[in-house]
Amino acid sequence: MIGTTSRAALAVALIAGLSACGNDDSGREANPLLIAAKSAAQTATRIRGAGKPQQTAAPRTPEQMATEALRVNPGPLILVGFESLGRNQVMAMTGQNGSTRTYMTPSEEALILRNGMVIGTRGLGNDLSVAESGTEALIHAGRSGQARRVMRYFSGDGLERPLEFDCSTAPGPKPGVVVESCSGHGAKFQNNYLPQGGQIPVSRQWLGPKLGYVTLQVLRP
Amino acid sequence: MRAHPSLTRRLLASTVPAALLLSLGATPARTDPLIGDVMNSYGLAGAVETPTAEMLPDGTLGGTVSYTELGRRHDLVFQLHPRITTALRYSRVPGINDHNDLGHIWDRSFDIRVQALEERGWQPAVSIGLQDFMGTGVYSGEYIVATKTLTPRLRATIGLGWGRLAGEQRDLDADDEGGKPNVGDWFTGSAKPFGSVTWQATDKLRLVAEYSNDKYTRETASGEKDAPGKHINLGAYYVFNPQYQVGVYALGGDIIGAQFSFALNPRNAPFPSGLEKAPAPVRPRPAPAADPDGWSGAWSADPSAQPAIQTVLAKALADEGQKLSAMSLSTNRAEVRIQNDRYIQQPEAIGRTARLMTRALPPSVDTFVITSMRDGMATSSVTLRRADVERLENTEAGKIAAVAQISDADPRPGNLLASADPSPRFKWRLGPYLELGVFDPQDPLRYEVGAELKASYEFGPGLVLSGRVRQRAFGSLEQRGPGIPGERGEHYTPEEYLANPANEYMDGVPRVRSDTRMYTGNHSPTVPELTLAWYAQPASSVYSRVTVGLLERAYGGVSGELLWKPADSALGLGVEIDRVRKRDFEDAFKFRDYEVTTGFVSVYYELAQGYTAQLDVGKYLAGDKGATISLTREFANGWRVGAYATKTDLSAEKFGEGSFDKGITVSIPIGWATGTPTRDRATADLGSLSRDGGAKVDVQGRLYDKVRDAQSVKLNQGWGRFWR
Repeated sequence: MIGTTSRAALAVALIAGLSACGNDDSGREANPLLIAAKSAAQTATRIRGAGKPQQTAAPRTPEQMATEALRVNPGPLILVGFESLGRNQVMAMTGQNGSTRTYMTPSEEALILRNGMVIGTRGLGNDLSVAESGTEALIHAGRSGQARRVMRYFSGDGLERPLEFDCSTAPGPKPGVVVESCSGHGAKFQNNYLPQGGQIPVSRQWLGPKLGYVTLQVLRP
Repeated sequence: MRAHPSLTRRLLASTVPAALLLSLGATPARTDPLIGDVMNSYGLAGAVETPTAEMLPDGTLGGTVSYTELGRRHDLVFQLHPRITTALRYSRVPGINDHNDLGHIWDRSFDIRVQALEERGWQPAVSIGLQDFMGTGVYSGEYIVATKTLTPRLRATIGLGWGRLAGEQRDLDADDEGGKPNVGDWFTGSAKPFGSVTWQATDKLRLVAEYSNDKYTRETASGEKDAPGKHINLGAYYVFNPQYQVGVYALGGDIIGAQFSFALNPRNAPFPSGLEKAPAPVRPRPAPAADPDGWSGAWSADPSAQPAIQTVLAKALADEGQKLSAMSLSTNRAEVRIQNDRYIQQPEAIGRTARLMTRALPPSVDTFVITSMRDGMATSSVTLRRADVERLENTEAGKIAAVAQISDADPRPGNLLASADPSPRFKWRLGPYLELGVFDPQDPLRYEVGAELKASYEFGPGLVLSGRVRQRAFGSLEQRGPGIPGERGEHYTPEEYLANPANEYMDGVPRVRSDTRMYTGNHSPTVPELTLAWYAQPASSVYSRVTVGLLERAYGGVSGELLWKPADSALGLGVEIDRVRKRDFEDAFKFRDYEVTTGFVSVYYELAQGYTAQLDVGKYLAGDKGATISLTREFANGWRVGAYATKTDLSAEKFGEGSFDKGITVSIPIGWATGTPTRDRATADLGSLSRDGGAKVDVQGRLYDKVRDAQSVKLNQGWGRFWR
């Protein structure tokens, strides 16, 4: 009996040891049970709040990151704080299409801005596909007013779905700040902008129900 | 971090069909069916043992294991449609003795519940259900049930039940072959009421009380166990995250039960948009003054232009998991032929390719044609105007869908320049495997674990040699002969089975699948598959496959297939002919005597909202003739759940247990669960007993799924991923 058990244990170890090697990473087959388990494990991880970065690299302050990025990269740069992910990153512009700019991290996560307003994210798992904000002109003009905002998300079943919000803009308590307050579907969020000459050097914007808020600071326009 | 529950629900809840996504319309006002969040011991939304009128969220695939001394039930549930719940159950029922003489039986049963009326104002939700409606019928019963939300935390249900739900045990069907709907029994006998109250005590805890008429006649017939003393059952259910639930309950106050449930909702992916790296953004063309040569097309006179561009583009595509197989380039038009090896939805591959083309091609090229390739076959072409790609980046996906043209690809255009294929021709992979055997009453779960080497060599586009070698390490799957006729529950030993060639026939029907366990339990290396496959495209929208070799574990030979499936047609037609010989049970390269030709004519139709239907008519492995019908529901994220049934001219008696072949298939994209982009899937086929009637050769690489992936219905369904 003991012999059988240890032989089985050895076999398990051997098989675990060869957990997939080769030059073909496609065509894997798995058991749906494993998928259920995997999904469960991920949910558990999320519940424990273990989604936070576990980087071993020396922690750097946002100022240090900004200084180094400005030294290394000659192009447009922004400093982004993902509040829900608990991290700050410098993102560099990788493309411009009209007034739309795409900024990326070194690990190719992207934030897409139009005149400083976030209109999309990529590579974050719960991305904002595209935002259509009727408040854009009001914010840049620093005026009070009301407009609609449609934010589209890619949902788990594989379709792009819209969330619609009614928004109003008004000058904020601090001078120069414009506050955009939106509500819809029983939820509320508030974006803060500091517009200057068609650009927005500093802002705090809401990306979606899962990603929450980001703070943006333009390091080099 | 706490997500906004209402917003998340909004993103999950309503079913917007693909058509709405494309037509830019608003979601129509509609009421939703009443959704339950307690699973009963039969694995459907309900109280403790009794049903309610509730449904599960559309598309939910779940499972429940419940245990009391009166039975153990393993339930699989699928919400087929917002108003239709279906369930498959495999239960251990004590107190019944069949041919296996175990003092209990293992029995499969099927349920269906339809919500006829939705809750509206004073009107309760009303459902009609059939429980265990075909086969042995241990749990056979029918019901009409109404459920009403009294307060947001309190629901009440009353119903009228027949059969088991009225405490009447119907005669068991255990002695004949079973597997057929027992229509004559439905709604017969006297009807009795049942009811329940469900109180949501906290966000996570539900308390349930019910009145049930079930007398557990069969379970207690032997006198070893007593039925519950009272008709009142109480239960407490704790939801420890939306996907998992544990419950404890008491039947009549004296029999304790426990259960565990999980529910996967295809809409509820951990990373809905995927964790793939961001795509390269569009690069708009410079002003004509800034690049006069590029805009005039003067560049095209340089013969080195295309090879240089093609090399750059192939490399960029390879970084995104796509293979550029060929390209044609003229002053104002470029066609690229790509094989997508990474993304489950072809539109994502097409969208990324289009963006890379804006970055690689000179400004005078204003028409992009992206042709999707699969094993050397060109399955569709998507034509885009470059200006639209530039203009519509960062808009909703419906806009680019509206201007994209989907057409059949020219199988052999003259001006293509093939790319040097940078990927290796020889591919291999060594990894572990796990094989499971279920539904054997004497040993409900068997397994085998070992190592598998998979390798393939691509001679050229569409010509592939591939094979697998397995070495078992340990497990409980052992070699065994089929059942001995006339002695139910007894099986031949492998030696007995091999000793007499006449054993390979039963009632004149060749054993084509019922001896499948003769192929298991091999302790030396096995070769489950070794084939040379050739895919080609004889004409536009016509595809062909020829596969030669060891097609599957039990058969080797030649398999040929022809499929007609235009890119923008919901209809497909196919023909398949296989000439196969039965393989030796142990020796990888030897054959047995049985040889047969099977063949089918197939009709495929893509219905609305992701449902596809397939009808195969022809001759099966045992020489029986008949038809297979299958219906599959496929979600835009790649989840597939389907059911099939085969009826042939083999009589129910000769077919044996189950009467005819039927089953359920489930296929879940691995990327859905992990967020990483991959085309790999986890697939299971449940419910097919190893019977000889209605059996097909299990050849790999059938054309329909290969071809359909990049055609109009699936492209439109997955178009939301174009800008991902």
